[in-house]
Parts: sequence; structure tokens; C-alpha cells
Amino acid sequence: MQITCTINGKVHRFDCAPESRVLDLVREAGMTSVKAGCGEGECGACSLFVNGRLVNACLLLAPQIQDAEVVTLEGLQEETAAIRESFAEHGAVQCGFCTPGFVLRAYDYLSHGGERSEEAIKAALDGNLCRCTGYRKIVEAIVKVKS
Amino acid sequence: MNYLRATNLGEATALLARYPEALLLCGSTDAALQLRHAAATATLIDIHALEELKGVSVEDGHMRIGALVTLNELLRSDVVRASLPLLAACAETFGSHQIRNLATVGGNIANASPAADLTAALVALEATVTLASQEGERSVPLEAFYCGYKCTKLDHELITAVTVPLQTGEWYYRKAGMRERLNIAKVSIALTQGHGGFRISGASLGPSPVRFRTLEALLDGGVYDDAAIKEALESDTDPSGGHRSTKAYRLRVAFNMIKEALSQPEER
Repeated sequence: MQITCTINGKVHRFDCAPESRVLDLVREAGMTSVKAGCGEGECGACSLFVNGRLVNACLLLAPQIQDAEVVTLEGLQEETAAIRESFAEHGAVQCGFCTPGFVLRAYDYLSHGGERSEEAIKAALDGNLCRCTGYRKIVEAIVKVKS
Repeated sequence: MNYLRATNLGEATALLARYPEALLLCGSTDAALQLRHAAATATLIDIHALEELKGVSVEDGHMRIGALVTLNELLRSDVVRASLPLLAACAETFGSHQIRNLATVGGNIANASPAADLTAALVALEATVTLASQEGERSVPLEAFYCGYKCTKLDHELITAVTVPLQTGEWYYRKAGMRERLNIAKVSIALTQGHGGFRISGASLGPSPVRFRTLEALLDGGVYDDAAIKEALESDTDPSGGHRSTKAYRLRVAFNMIKEALSQPEER
């Protein structure tokens, strides 16, 4: 089937099977910040925005992005600059594989007026897994993002 | 694979009559995994654009929740938080933020997982589910909608909405699992105590959501004795010893939750 959507403001057309995962489509389109992690919605490494809602690209099928506005970290460089700087400053990265997902979730959370308490941030990060850092520095980085 | 997109309810029921074995696609959180792990489904009917299945409204002491309402919409709805706090508490423990942005109420009901928290909460709240086909609509109590493991009474039908009486009195909701969040229930318990007496239900304690009728009768009769509660629990439930935990564990935790529910309920 033919799927047309915008990714980071640019129109993309895919000729794909209806059961194709959005995760694979956006990676093939060059958006490699979207990582293929668990493939089951557990880790959040493939997080991206579809019509303004943060979702798991591994759980999303091609027809779900027909006419949709898809935004990945590549399309939010300016908007996430302060968050990325805070992650770097606080050492909230190790291997870096989960980082794009965490940055997008932090951006989603803070731009909706999320509370800056450790407890609230930990709860907000329920859809993102990191196997390296132990989360402490990630939570600290989000608490201290300069607004 | 055959992909068909319905733009209104009439189209959806017509397609379903023509392709009764089709897999319905809405939030896709379960469908995407099913398509990856199971044998190929021949036809997908995409219903995610159906306006008739969206939104939450209150009328005559009941809340109508459209089948396409997402878990995050449920969680953030002021009217749900105010009038069905048990359901809001349940939605809060459901999946993750990203999953809650996709997963729908109707999908959770139709998927019929024995561990589905939302359906256990809805059974305790005495929800009814509205089903539509080309022949028209019918309503079924959610408890009667299930017929065993992953088995529902859907008959060339799709779920359009769930209707829930507004909650009164004391309530309790709790889930136990391996970790605090993004968790599949080893046991979950939903309890309400209003004018009609106790309503208790649980997930992961049988092939589908279980209503604890023996226990309800016992508690309504004023018997709070530990041994009697244990006995009632055993007769009401049929937990499997699946890979997530043993039968003995599930019964023990369910008992502890019931005791906690009786001593420290929330109130509305």
C-alpha cells in the first residue's frame, strides 16, 4: 500500500505492506535517532511524536501514520537543546542508545508543564528503559533543565 | 495482507460482516505484536478514524466511554477522575505513557487478556459493553461478555462503547507485579462498596476477569473472618500457575489485598 505522511515537516511516501512497523519506515527514511530496542513497547527507545502524541514506533503500523505529522528527535534539535545540554552536563548518558527516547520523553513532559520533582519525573519515565545509567543522572538532568 | 479502512460505523460493520475473521486495528498496541508473532491475518480493518467511538459523556448517572478513548484520555479526563476514581486509579497503572497514548478502552476489552487490569476494574464497576453489527446494537454486561481465556461473545461485531454507573461509596484498586510501572498484573483487585453492597473483581485470577460473588455475599452478610474469606476466594477464582507467578502466590496476594481493601478503602 501507499502511505504518505510528513516526517519532520517533509513529505515522505512509502510503498509498504500494511503490517510494516513505523519504526522500520522512519529508520529507512534516515531518522536513525529512532532506535530499534525491545520491539515490544517496553523500552521507549523508538519513541516519536505522531500528531503531537509520543508513542512507540515499534507498536505502530504503517496505516496509522497515513496523513499524519511525524516528528523525531532530528526535527526537534532547537527545542531539545537545553535538555540535551543538561543530559551532557549531568552525565545522563552511557552507551547512548536510549538517549533519544529519554530526551523526547523529557521534552514531552516538560513542554506539558510537568512538575520538576524527582518522584513525578520517575513516574513520567515509565515508558523508557536504560540498561546503563541506573536513571539517577537522567532524573537529575531533567530536574535541572534550564528553562 | 488485505487492508481496509472504515471511515464511519456503518462502513465498519459492513466490512466486518464481509470479513468476519478480520483483525480490527485501532490503537495497534496489541495488534502490532499479534501480527509479528502469530500466523498472518488475512484482513485488517482499521477503525481508528471512527468519530462515533470517541469521547466521554455523562447522562442519567452513567458514563459512556467511547471504545476509541485512549488510556491517557481516560486518565486525564476530569469527569472520569471525579466520577469514576477507581477507573482513573487503574488507568494510572496501565502500560507506559507512550502505550497509554495509543491503547484504547475498546481494544483492552476486546483483547480479553486474563491480566487486563482495566476489564477487572470495569467488571467491579458493573460496566456494560455496547456491540454493533449490521443487524444493529446490543448491550451486554461486561462480566457476561467473556467466555474463557481470550474468548469473547463478539459475533461479527465491534465494541462501540462501555457504559459505567457513576461510582459511589468506598473503593479500592491495587495491582501487584514484578516492578512498579509498565507492569503486567500477577494479581489485581478492584472493589467498590456502595448502596448495592460489595462488588469485587480481579485480573490474573482466572481465564478472564473474575467477579467474586461468594466473597461479595459473605462480606455483605457481615462475615469478615480470615478463614471464610480465604475459602470464598478459592471458590471464586481459578488462577493459573503461569510463568508470571504460582497459583498459591496469586491467592495469597489476593487475600492480602482484600484485607487491605477492607481496612483501608478510598472514599468517594
